[in-house]
Amino acid sequence: MSQVQARFFTENKKYLIDDVPFSIPAASEVADLSGVINKLLEAKNDGHKHVEFDFLVRGQFLRTSLASHMEKENISTEEVVEIEYVEKFTAPQPEECIMHDDWISSVEADSEWILTGSYDKTARIWSMEGKAVMTVAGHTDVVKDVAWVKRSENLQTGSLVVNDASLLLTASLDQTIMLWEWNSERNKVEARHCCRGHAGSVDTVAVDPTRTKVCVLPTVEEDEIEEPNRPRKKQKTEQMGLTRTPLMTFSGHNEAVSSVLWMDAEELCSASWDHTIRLWDAETGEQKSTLTGSKVFNSISYSPLCRRLASGSTDRHVRLWDPRSKDGSLVLLSLTSHNGWVTAVRWSPSHEHQLVSGSLDNVVKLWDTRSCKAPLYDLAAHEDKILCVDWTENGLILSGGADNKLYTYRYSTCVSDAGA
Amino acid sequence: MEWYKDYPHIGYDLEVSLLVFITFSVRSQDIRNTVGNIPMEWYKDYPHIGYDLEGKKIFKPIRNKDELDEFLDKMENPDYWRTVQDKMTGADIRLSDEQVDLVHRLQQGKFGDVNFNEYEPAIDFFSNEVMIHPVTNRPQDKRSFIPSLIEKEKVGKLVHAIKMGWIKPRRPKETTPQYYDLWAKEDPNSILGRHKMHVPAPKMKLPGHEESYNPPPEYLLSEEERLAWEQQDPEYRKLSFLPQKFACLRAVPAYSRFIHERFERCLDLYLCPRQRKMRVNVNPEDLIPKLPKPKDLQPFPTTQSLVYRGHSSLVRSISVSPSGQWLVSGSDDCTVRFWEVSTARCLKTVEVGGAVKGVAWNPNPSICLVAVSYDDTVVLLNPGLGDRLVCTATDQLISSYEEPEEVMDQSVQWAVAEGEGHEQGHRLILKHPKTVRQVTWHGKGDYLACVMPDNGSSLQVVIHQVSKRRTQNPFRKNKGLVQCVSFHPIRPYFFVATQRYVRVYNLIKQELTKKLMANCKWISSMAIHPGGDNVICGSYDCRLAWFDLDLSTKPYKVLRHHKKALRSVAYHRHYPLFASGSDDGSVIVCHGMVYNDLLQNPLIVPVKVLKGHTITHDLGVLDVTFHPTQPWVFSSGADGTVRLFT
Repeated sequence: MSQVQARFFTENKKYLIDDVPFSIPAASEVADLSGVINKLLEAKNDGHKHVEFDFLVRGQFLRTSLASHMEKENISTEEVVEIEYVEKFTAPQPEECIMHDDWISSVEADSEWILTGSYDKTARIWSMEGKAVMTVAGHTDVVKDVAWVKRSENLQTGSLVVNDASLLLTASLDQTIMLWEWNSERNKVEARHCCRGHAGSVDTVAVDPTRTKVCVLPTVEEDEIEEPNRPRKKQKTEQMGLTRTPLMTFSGHNEAVSSVLWMDAEELCSASWDHTIRLWDAETGEQKSTLTGSKVFNSISYSPLCRRLASGSTDRHVRLWDPRSKDGSLVLLSLTSHNGWVTAVRWSPSHEHQLVSGSLDNVVKLWDTRSCKAPLYDLAAHEDKILCVDWTENGLILSGGADNKLYTYRYSTCVSDAGA
Repeated sequence: MEWYKDYPHIGYDLEVSLLVFITFSVRSQDIRNTVGNIPMEWYKDYPHIGYDLEGKKIFKPIRNKDELDEFLDKMENPDYWRTVQDKMTGADIRLSDEQVDLVHRLQQGKFGDVNFNEYEPAIDFFSNEVMIHPVTNRPQDKRSFIPSLIEKEKVGKLVHAIKMGWIKPRRPKETTPQYYDLWAKEDPNSILGRHKMHVPAPKMKLPGHEESYNPPPEYLLSEEERLAWEQQDPEYRKLSFLPQKFACLRAVPAYSRFIHERFERCLDLYLCPRQRKMRVNVNPEDLIPKLPKPKDLQPFPTTQSLVYRGHSSLVRSISVSPSGQWLVSGSDDCTVRFWEVSTARCLKTVEVGGAVKGVAWNPNPSICLVAVSYDDTVVLLNPGLGDRLVCTATDQLISSYEEPEEVMDQSVQWAVAEGEGHEQGHRLILKHPKTVRQVTWHGKGDYLACVMPDNGSSLQVVIHQVSKRRTQNPFRKNKGLVQCVSFHPIRPYFFVATQRYVRVYNLIKQELTKKLMANCKWISSMAIHPGGDNVICGSYDCRLAWFDLDLSTKPYKVLRHHKKALRSVAYHRHYPLFASGSDDGSVIVCHGMVYNDLLQNPLIVPVKVLKGHTITHDLGVLDVTFHPTQPWVFSSGADGTVRLFT
């Protein structure tokens, strides 16, 4: 087998070539194929500049020579092979390195501000350029998770109407969650509520898509949901504002709950150290289904684009799950390249195939589910354990860890490919 | 039948004599029986025996002779021997001399007629000689001189069969003679069979260049070699002769040792042990007992996941909180550190007044207390981790203690920590008379046992009750040096390990229930299976002994996997796992399945050797402990680190 019949196609109108089958050497690799496409494009229009391409054969990225790839994937060499080519993803560009005073336990960013929680018992707000804007201090113990609730818009609470204020949540080891109101113009932060009710440290919080409810998780055997905008009970405490009690408690996990998220407005999902991922109905509080793994789950993430759950566990693998499957324990794909516990996973908000994972082996990996054998890029900037990663809508990857540094990377997926 | 007309008889029967008698009787008396040739026994029930020519019954002669009369007759009657009974008439007939003679002749196989010559010359009528008057003068048949059609047809069929290959003419003859192998089925191992075993004589070495009469010069020995050869013992000489050079073959003298050597070879062959060594081919793998593969026994810790760094000296003891979220470690740098298990973050460091020998987290989840032993002091710390309510409840529990009216004279002084110590988390301080080596909690979390090893002293083990601040010495006297103690997880038993033995005491009956003999020199550590029926002991002579208390007081199994002294052993609370840490810097995790079925012995399979600790001052791993819920093992080492293997 020395020559293979191949037909190239692409979704990108910019790089269209004639739809004719070519005979190409079977030993050719990505660089060779990229050269072929560039030659064809040059022949077609003179003003073409050299572009690196990546190739997909039946939905899988080509990483070895074409012959070995086809052999591995069991593709017949007799027929014409359909090869899709996309513009090669450029490597994420490191942007900022933000120094903290202590370990970074969590990070959440949006288009304007970065919110980080740290082991020095504070949460901080940073600008995109890495300038410390605000320090949110008030917890008596380590801040384990942070979340934006509302960003700088009019707040339609029943009684309060506050202009130009952001709401943010911090969860801490001192068993409380605090809701803060931050006025970015005046740069003042004010504690609005303190949510109590957990019998252990609060390790994770999640805000539902409509931004009205919060799901918070303790490390004891229950998860609880709180609704910050319609408090059931208002109570003045010394300096903490109002104290809240949980709206609903989801009991079922046998061990610490490590991660929680909202799948949509009615459904939420929690991962636990008892080797299960459970899906709950937010209205009734009933458990809808259970996905059972074999190792402790550290982190989960859900992508509404591809409707898959990604989980990071203590056995070095990132696993993809189908949450709709009823029988429970179906792993669709496992991505194996890390050498330590996978502590954080996050799907790309704009690309259905890409996700990012952070691990105790100090490496952040960028994955494409179409190439499950090896990650697209390794981001090895950290010098110690990575504890959190995030990916914003505008293409910024953030990772923080035990070396007190928050790294940001600019990663632009090709515009043409983003919707593919 | 006219041939017989001149003879007294009319033919021969099997019973020759009888026929003769019949004819005799017929002639002499003419009594004819007309019943014909029938079996005469048909008439045996009748008085008559047949019918004569006139049709009258022939009656059987009266026979009333009994045996005695017969005998007398035989003795007295000279003609008895020639008297026979006629079967047809039943009458007795006396044979004449002629008749007797005839019977004799016939018995001898001769002709009955005396005058008959059986050797008369015969005339050969149908001879080969052509006579002028042949016996028959018929002309010859045509078929006698033309070929037979039938034969032709038969030959044609044979030829056709040969052509078709149905018949194979001239089958090759078996040239090798076929003999019956008499000994084919004989067993070669039987006594006779062994004699047939042939051991070929070893072949003699062919002569080489050194035997030549004119060897190449390099084969000739130099003067030194010759001296060395002569000094060597004849048995160890490489060559039994000296190579020599002669001008021509004629000059070679007769070999003086020829007969000697022949004799020696014959002697060798004669004395050769004619015995075959029966070697049994055993596959070495078959001798290893069948154990399940470690892969099938998952989950168990396989890789190092987290390293808890912070201590500056060796970490003697570690303990995990009952929830599995926190870890406490005590070190020789006089600090106790509290860690978050999932991130290896040191959350709290508490300084104490001496090198920490032992730490133990209270197993009761509703009490947040850690017992720390250093020098002669045991401190109960409240780390303030976990549920705030539990921490405050624990503090209240300690502060709500009321001094009893009568003050007991106790060997241990209880004091409440105040000031700076209280802020650090110290709650109660227990001053012992001697150095405390180990602390361990009872499963309910109220009782605390301390070990103060001191040979010959009566105060080596004390049990404290925290809620009443009471101390008791359970033993009036201790035999040997107590190494470690442990409470039974379920029943009121108390395990005390001395150097050589483990004694099991019943705390309610206050008596010794069992004494386990460890068969090792110096026990270092001990762990009780959560089911309570199995105990493992690690010893300084590299052994780990597993006791099944239901089985025997001797070890059920002794594992010698470590290369150096064992420092610590531990069981997992849920998974069938146990681990041992040793001075060789490794932790060995074994699968130890205990069955509820009393007939089935525990299954022990070593599954993993975990390495990671560096050996400092000849010390490796000092303590191992399992996570309470996950199949993870923590180990603390002399290199000042605590490691988590998952």
